Amino acid sequence: MKFLCVPCDEQMETQKDGLFNESNRSISLKFKCKKCGHTMAMLTNRFETEFVSKLGVEMGGKSEVSNAPMGMVGSSLAQGKEELKQAEPATDEVEWTQGAKDRIAKVPFFVRGMAKKTVINFARERGIKVIDETLMDEVREKVGM
Amino acid sequence: MKTYEDLATDGGSNIIGQVVTQREKLRGRLDQIKHKIALLSGKGGVGKSSLTANVAACLALQGHKVGILDADLNGPSIAKLLGVPNEEKLKVEADGVHPGEGALGIRIMSMDMLLPTADAPVMWTEGKEATAVWVSTMECTALRELLADTIWGELDYLLIDMPPGSDRMDNIRDLVPELAGVVEITIPSNMSQHIVTKSITKNSNLGVPIIGLVENMATYVCPHCNEEGDLFQGEDTKALAEKKGIKFLGSIPFDTRISGNTRSGKMFFAEHQESPTGKAISGVVDKILEFIESNSK
Repeated sequence: MKFLCVPCDEQMETQKDGLFNESNRSISLKFKCKKCGHTMAMLTNRFETEFVSKLGVEMGGKSEVSNAPMGMVGSSLAQGKEELKQAEPATDEVEWTQGAKDRIAKVPFFVRGMAKKTVINFARERGIKVIDETLMDEVREKVGM
Repeated sequence: MKTYEDLATDGGSNIIGQVVTQREKLRGRLDQIKHKIALLSGKGGVGKSSLTANVAACLALQGHKVGILDADLNGPSIAKLLGVPNEEKLKVEADGVHPGEGALGIRIMSMDMLLPTADAPVMWTEGKEATAVWVSTMECTALRELLADTIWGELDYLLIDMPPGSDRMDNIRDLVPELAGVVEITIPSNMSQHIVTKSITKNSNLGVPIIGLVENMATYVCPHCNEEGDLFQGEDTKALAEKKGIKFLGSIPFDTRISGNTRSGKMFFAEHQESPTGKAISGVVDKILEFIESNSK
């Protein structure tokens, strides 16, 4: 699926952050025309979402989530071994509380990379060094769809 | 206005590129494995997993490097059969997950190894919201990850222990197009044979090479005197193989020590090679190897 900005006749580009989607029933994805700046959102229904998830790919491009071995299995199992949770948030620039890590791990595989980026950017813009569940609630309030 | 073809990319997700990368990773893994064989039956409860484990043991004792992929995602038993405890920690590296090392050095990967406790079920979401389509979707992706993300290393044989039914075969055929063949397993009961014929017909129609048909639990072997007696009353399995135009690989008597060995994580075949059941397993393996050799030429 591709999106075209009709007035500009330009392809719209996927926005790789600015979304925080905790549901596996729908994919929310923002597209922006780089010429006029117009932004739109694509929202999928449950069946479209299930079809995309079958591919085991990430919206917005590959991130460390999809590079993690057995990333989809490890992150999608309701009960899975701790060792599988390799795609935990990086801790080099910000610190994630365990509650925040657990919550980001519940974001569906196919949008988790974008959600992490959204949270990190949100924290960075505000000079926040520790990401906790309260901050994630704030992110969800501001950008979640 | 520009058309779909005029737009060079998908706008940034590069879905096709991601799928290609997945395929390349899978290919890189499978290229290190000489022969891939699926063991299946349309029917459950015919001893597929026990037979798979003992065929693997026989191959390993012949000096082959052997692995088993437990494709029975919801009823995994291979880890337990080969003595890999549920509590064993997974060795995860950037490149993949190390397989469990079972009896006789057989490398295994099974959903059981990914679950934290022995009684943990395979559930893809918490709660009741998982739809049948969602679960089916997750299982397809899970099977690909189990194959592609396991550091199998170089293997002579990878045995794929299939779940009951023949529906997962479509998935395996897509993931492993170079599959050497399938071993169909039945027991000598009318019901099992009725269902297994559907699996044979399906695989024939799909163009999947059928190595042959095994009659498991053909007779009962007394553990004290090695005398054999009938367990089931069914059609002649050999005649069934002939009717379906496939090879009959042999009849394997039921030996109660198989389940005893299962509990201890030891391999029945390794300890009872000279028993009627052990000899029958050997005979089946010989015929599987003949098939592989003749098709490799």
